[in-house]
Amino acid sequence: MISQTVPMVGEEFVMGYRKQSVWSKWIALAFFFGKVGSGMFILAVLLNTPLIALAGLVIENVGKGGALLIHLGRPARFWRAMTRPQSSWISRTVWVMGIFTVIGLIYLVLPAGSPAWQIFKVLALVSAVVVAITDGFVMNDSPAIPLWNTPMLPFLFLFYSLLGGTSVFFFLVHGGWASITPLVDLETLETALIIINLIGVAIYLGSMVNATATARESLRLLIKGPYSGMFFGFVVAIGFILTLVLTLFLGASGGTLVVGLITLADLIGHFFIFYLLLMVGVYSPVLGKLTI
Amino acid sequence: MARYGMVIDLKRCVGCNACTVACKAENGTPPGIFFTKVLEQVAGQYPIVKKKYVPVLCNHCLNAPCVRVCPSGATHKREDGIVLVDYNKCIGCKACVVACPYKNRELMPEGKLKEGHFKGYLTPFEQVKYKKFQEGVVVKCTFCSERVDQGLEPSCVNTCPAEARVFGDLHDPESKVSRLIRQRGGIQPMSEANTDPSVYYIE
Ligand code: SF4
Ligand code: SF4
Ligand code: SF4
Repeated sequence: MISQTVPMVGEEFVMGYRKQSVWSKWIALAFFFGKVGSGMFILAVLLNTPLIALAGLVIENVGKGGALLIHLGRPARFWRAMTRPQSSWISRTVWVMGIFTVIGLIYLVLPAGSPAWQIFKVLALVSAVVVAITDGFVMNDSPAIPLWNTPMLPFLFLFYSLLGGTSVFFFLVHGGWASITPLVDLETLETALIIINLIGVAIYLGSMVNATATARESLRLLIKGPYSGMFFGFVVAIGFILTLVLTLFLGASGGTLVVGLITLADLIGHFFIFYLLLMVGVYSPVLGKLTI
Repeated sequence: MARYGMVIDLKRCVGCNACTVACKAENGTPPGIFFTKVLEQVAGQYPIVKKKYVPVLCNHCLNAPCVRVCPSGATHKREDGIVLVDYNKCIGCKACVVACPYKNRELMPEGKLKEGHFKGYLTPFEQVKYKKFQEGVVVKCTFCSERVDQGLEPSCVNTCPAEARVFGDLHDPESKVSRLIRQRGGIQPMSEANTDPSVYYIE
């Protein structure tokens, strides 16, 4: 038996692990805006702040929609992305975004408190949650990349969406740009969601330790390889530790500047975790288990 | 109905890359874009080292993830099992590139078809061949469907000096590909991905 180590290779004609490179910053931005927009919308509907709900819809459509359009090689044909919802998660995402926008707008124009408004409130909430998780299915649908091919991703997307929405909300309410009728302790909610996300990311990455060799290679790139600086700097230090310390020890009492800093730090961590998960997506060697 | 497939004999392949060049000549792909290539695999430590050449190309999988994830219907499967991309429908979302477990798809980037092999000057050959491509869409091996439709073999098979590549109908039990798979124990690449490739390897 001849021992074999599988190298990480680029475009050269050598068998080994290969990194995906076609989904990068624009897809990461689309995911980011998709989650923050839907998160803001969910919180705004629950806390009765229609203007912020509208802002969530705009971020979803302009931010996510715009980033997706820029990503496309042929943006003028974007409408074709709607033609295969029976099998393609990208198609489903486009449909879900459209349905969410229509339901959200109807909810916003209906007279508050009316029976129809009550029904559309529930529909709007459900569609926003579906929007938040579908991007997770888009990533999860790639059998080639074991790091992404896990049912944990949609959950991670949902909790990040709620955290992103809460962070922005926390800032807007504290700065006096929005007021909420049911008095909710946004600071406690923010802290709880940071901890939930921290645990979620730890479990997700931890599960890769016992997964396939390819998944471990992705993990190695993330925590020891060329992306480790960004991971520990932006995701762990800024996204988790800084936000948690500031929220726990200063929080709302630290003033708008501190709350703004918490929001900014959270959004930086939020963008980079998904950007890095895209960047460390590794394919298994072509022959899989068939090796010499 | 036929299901076209290929058997690649790793014992015969000498790594000459004649197939790679024949493919480029047939399809006229721009620099850096390969529909087929031959990967080197080295195992062991000096002085016990083993080297093998593994030709790779789109496996025209029966259960193709690239077809499933394509949101526009541009990637489709013909009745004979050949998986093709309709460049007029492709929106360039690259979902299929990410979904192909074999990384056998490539994006035709912006500017690629103007650049050519000589940076800004297109040879008459390139001018003719590049007409069928579009920028911003995804391209891949077609099993030389235009040749196959005329009863010819794919160009790589036709060129291989070692007869390491054999093309034929997997549904015909008497075809050479079916016999080789049966007699020599053909193995599908990355069978754990459940894609049911139409390309088999024998050793
Ligand atoms: S090898 Fe890749 S591109 Fe070819 S059919 Fe299979 S999944 Fe699709
Ligand atoms: S890049 Fe083109 S062929 Fe590939 S999934 Fe998108 S639309 Fe389909
Ligand atoms: S032409 Fe034949 S022998 Fe040469 S590399 Fe290709 S498959 Fe191998």
